[in-house]
Amino acid sequence: MSELRWNPLMGEWVATATHRQERTFMPPADFCPLCPTRPGGFPTEVPESEYDLVVFENRFPSLRPEPPEPAVEATELYPVRPGQGVCEVVLYSPRHTSTLAEEPVEQIYKLIQVWTDRFAELGQLPFVDYVFEFENKGEAIGVTLHHPHGQIYAYPFIPPRIERELEQSRSHHADTGRCLLCDIAGEERRDGRRIVAENNSFIAYVPFFARYPYEVHISSARHLQALTDMNEAEQRDLAAVLKMVLVAYDKLFNLSFPYMMVLHQRPTDGGDYDYYHFHIEFYPPLRTATKLKYLAGS
Amino acid sequence: MTRRRITLADGRYLIFYTFGEAEAETAPDMKSEAKPAEPEPVPEAEEERGV
Repeated sequence: MSELRWNPLMGEWVATATHRQERTFMPPADFCPLCPTRPGGFPTEVPESEYDLVVFENRFPSLRPEPPEPAVEATELYPVRPGQGVCEVVLYSPRHTSTLAEEPVEQIYKLIQVWTDRFAELGQLPFVDYVFEFENKGEAIGVTLHHPHGQIYAYPFIPPRIERELEQSRSHHADTGRCLLCDIAGEERRDGRRIVAENNSFIAYVPFFARYPYEVHISSARHLQALTDMNEAEQRDLAAVLKMVLVAYDKLFNLSFPYMMVLHQRPTDGGDYDYYHFHIEFYPPLRTATKLKYLAGS
Repeated sequence: MTRRRITLADGRYLIFYTFGEAEAETAPDMKSEAKPAEPEPVPEAEEERGV
């Protein structure tokens, strides 16, 4: 059962998906459902092994294009709506033990092209207002399958954090005539101390206002709002900067670094978001090799 | 970039992405969850995009 429930206290929709309690949890490598099906082996999600990347609908989705009616009744205070949307899984490689950091830049460039393709296709669906492309990596984050993969949630609403960023960006532009993230990147270049990597098209930095000890943001040098605005050189430069950041993370404590990686792009609801700016955010939970950062409190 | 979209036995779609010089061959519509040993059913129209 799944539905969207309105939280009147925060003014946001909450997705409930009780069936996800039964999803596959940390299977041994021999029974990985994301590895290609082997001859004579058990059937996995992927029937063939000859591919660069694969995208498929999540077997245990929080949102579906044709959702069931909500299992709970709405009230005036608690509106409820069907959990309509799309949930996809993006496999980075047929190799079970790989990670995005270990893949060559060329493979990351291919992933960027796949992300772009999915953003364009899903964003055109009439019930999709926001295409959220992301990766949860590592047990510390709560990942249940080790095979290198990311996900895409095509939401029927704009997520709260994005709404907040849009409002801040709109307000800054109204006040100054300038893009907020362009100004942030400019401030980081002037300071220089928090820059992790940079090339012609992208800058990666630890934000001045980081909540996680090793939080990193990557933003485009050119003012653009989505992957679909990038040219080939920018896509390749993004792949190169991502590789630099991911390798740097793994070298920090000499371990495969857990993180949430989220792509922040313009909504796909047909609105005007020219004041917004494409960027990627990393939320790594480790504050040392063995200690987690807990975002507790307010 | 080449896309090959198939339908899994439970109705979900799966898209294979390949890059470079490899061209997508006409592929059968996969109705079963495992790669079948028997001859494949009639292929559905595939979408191919060259970049």
